Amino acid sequence: MDNKELIPPGLTYLADNIASKDNILGTSKGTGAKWAKELHLPKQMETIFFAGCGYQYNSELESLMSLIRKIDKSAVSTELTMSLAGFQKKLGIDASGIYRKVMTRGSGADAQPLRDAVKVLDSLGVKFGYLADEEPCCGGLLYFIGLHKEFAKHAQEVYARLKSRGIKRIIGIVPSCTYTLRNLIPDSIDGHDLEVKHFCEVVSEGISSLELRYPREVKVTYHDPCQLVRYLGLVEEPRQILRAIKGIELVETEWTKGEWATCCGGGGGFEAVFPELSQILAVNRAKELIETGAEIIVTHCPGCIMQLKAGLKELKAGGVEVLDLAQIVAMAMGV
Amino acid sequence: MSVFTEYKKEIMDAAHNERIRLALSRAIASYRTNTNNALKKFPHTIKMAEEVREIKENAISEMEQLAQQACEAIEFNKGKAYIAKTADEALKIIGELVGKGKLIVKGKSMTGEEIELREYLEELGNEVYETDLGEFIIQKLHSRPMHILSPAIHVPKEDVAELFSKITGEKLEPDIAKLVATARKLLREKYFEADIGMSGANVVAADTGTLFLIENEGNIRLATGAPPVHIALVGMEKLVPTLGDAYKVAEVTWRYANYTVPSYVSLVSGPSKTGDIEKVTTYGAHGPKELHVIFMDDGRTELAKHPILRQALYCLRCGGCLYECPVFAVTAGHFGDKYFAGIGAVWAAMIDHNLEKAASLAYTCLTCGRCKVRCPVEIDGAEMVVALRKLIVEGDRLSQPDLAL
Repeated sequence: MDNKELIPPGLTYLADNIASKDNILGTSKGTGAKWAKELHLPKQMETIFFAGCGYQYNSELESLMSLIRKIDKSAVSTELTMSLAGFQKKLGIDASGIYRKVMTRGSGADAQPLRDAVKVLDSLGVKFGYLADEEPCCGGLLYFIGLHKEFAKHAQEVYARLKSRGIKRIIGIVPSCTYTLRNLIPDSIDGHDLEVKHFCEVVSEGISSLELRYPREVKVTYHDPCQLVRYLGLVEEPRQILRAIKGIELVETEWTKGEWATCCGGGGGFEAVFPELSQILAVNRAKELIETGAEIIVTHCPGCIMQLKAGLKELKAGGVEVLDLAQIVAMAMGV
Repeated sequence: MSVFTEYKKEIMDAAHNERIRLALSRAIASYRTNTNNALKKFPHTIKMAEEVREIKENAISEMEQLAQQACEAIEFNKGKAYIAKTADEALKIIGELVGKGKLIVKGKSMTGEEIELREYLEELGNEVYETDLGEFIIQKLHSRPMHILSPAIHVPKEDVAELFSKITGEKLEPDIAKLVATARKLLREKYFEADIGMSGANVVAADTGTLFLIENEGNIRLATGAPPVHIALVGMEKLVPTLGDAYKVAEVTWRYANYTVPSYVSLVSGPSKTGDIEKVTTYGAHGPKELHVIFMDDGRTELAKHPILRQALYCLRCGGCLYECPVFAVTAGHFGDKYFAGIGAVWAAMIDHNLEKAASLAYTCLTCGRCKVRCPVEIDGAEMVVALRKLIVEGDRLSQPDLAL
């Protein structure tokens, strides 16, 4: 006997998408890889860049979340979590239609951090490929929501797919995918021998000799994503990068920084179960960050970017931008 | 409505309650300042916390032996000691000791909340006074605690004034000093009229049978000192081998509970006695003539078998993690059952056996991991929550976690 009915349905919806479509949003195969079309990255390389679901589907996620939040605030909200998928049908919401609309509008404009990350790695002389439509979903969400058997099975498949392509090293960028690839998948695989690094580790190792200058003088603050700072332990790397860029003044919150950083409210599918509460937490975090007087909030996670943007919007703090660390570095390199 | 739907409604109502948020944002700011200052003033605490982690890890593995040893020590000290396997057994033992028609003054005890002790004693026909100010407010509001150390953390002074005005029948202003004085006046005589005083314990030394009671108000000293009988209910996870261990656990507990140095720490090992007349030992001098200590298991020895979830038993109940939880900051104890937040989900499942509530709480945890950064004994809340979700969804038998591995 199991108790899968005790998993809030917002999460089972996402988990089902991993199983059926190999990405958390259930969009069709290959949609996510569009961002890299013009970049002509090779598929067959020993080192690959792992883009993950988050950034690739960010624009879809934002539309979907704003919709979910509207429903969650309405009178029928309590029904929402009973069955997200069913509820979408009931209201006539066509999730894949929303994705299509967004895709035709700008083909993944929100995947800019990915394009910038690729340019940065290129400039640093890193040789790497990208699996594009063959990149698997890391499956980390399955683990976090408690579906460990499904996760273990998925991990075997992911590992086999990566190994069959002769891959030896992975450079991840989404914090949770990177943690899953680096820590969780190895726990499920005997003799695991893939090396996994995070983008910001590669960058912090490579930039010391470079002259980096941001196009203008600017005050920025840094928001640590939970999985990057507390799971992967990357506290200094992003700060070292930001401090190396001329023109950038790093202003931090007094207490809630580094390992004490406050979660943006978007952790582990939480936003799908408690959309409105998640937004309240996003507002709280955005408030802490703008109290530093920063003009740009730099972070390094697609979930955090989405949350913080929503938080700033609610606070009507239109003058403050949210950018990914990869975007900042690309601009500072002039690429 | 399903448990989850009802729960979601409750926490969303809390999240929209500006007073809760205001009260908590003040509490969080003051907690962080006080604790950081306390750790700066007594920097040895951080190293001591590492020792305490080790003490707790070992003690949790031998709770049953320690309980046995503590019982023998207390009996040697002429107290009475009991081991209760379940909550029902604990209630039955206490019920028989108390009987009915008694006046009882009580110190705050989360273990008491766990088994709904006050309600049980009232049903038996006793009059029970919570003497901790926060708990007194909660009792009079017919509410439930919203924080393990500051149960009335969500109630602003205006509401307290209104409540106390109703009780006293005179119009009281929301002046905190005056409200505190009112509570003192309302409770003062009760300590001396009471038949029984009740308490929990923050930590217990098994070798000497000594209970450590940490407090600031002085209500516990009075409640456990003035009445002729003292009954203490203690969760078995509070046991450590020696008096020396217990000192360390106590100091780390109060420092992370932002007390710096608490006003009072009472050490109770037996009933009151004197030998001042002809060296004849006589019990019940100025303090209680009888001391009864009930060590309660209620699922703890089972929980101790789970390699990850057993961390919940290392908890010192300092409450620090709650101040670092972003969800707790807007919902207070509504994100909880008998205990709160992520670690509360573990207690709901393993101790309260309330699987649906446990699932609701487990999926409210962000797994952000900041609670661990605060925790003096480095309990990994996120790791426990993920392990608990696995236990819940894969349908392993929670009552026998050893079989689930």
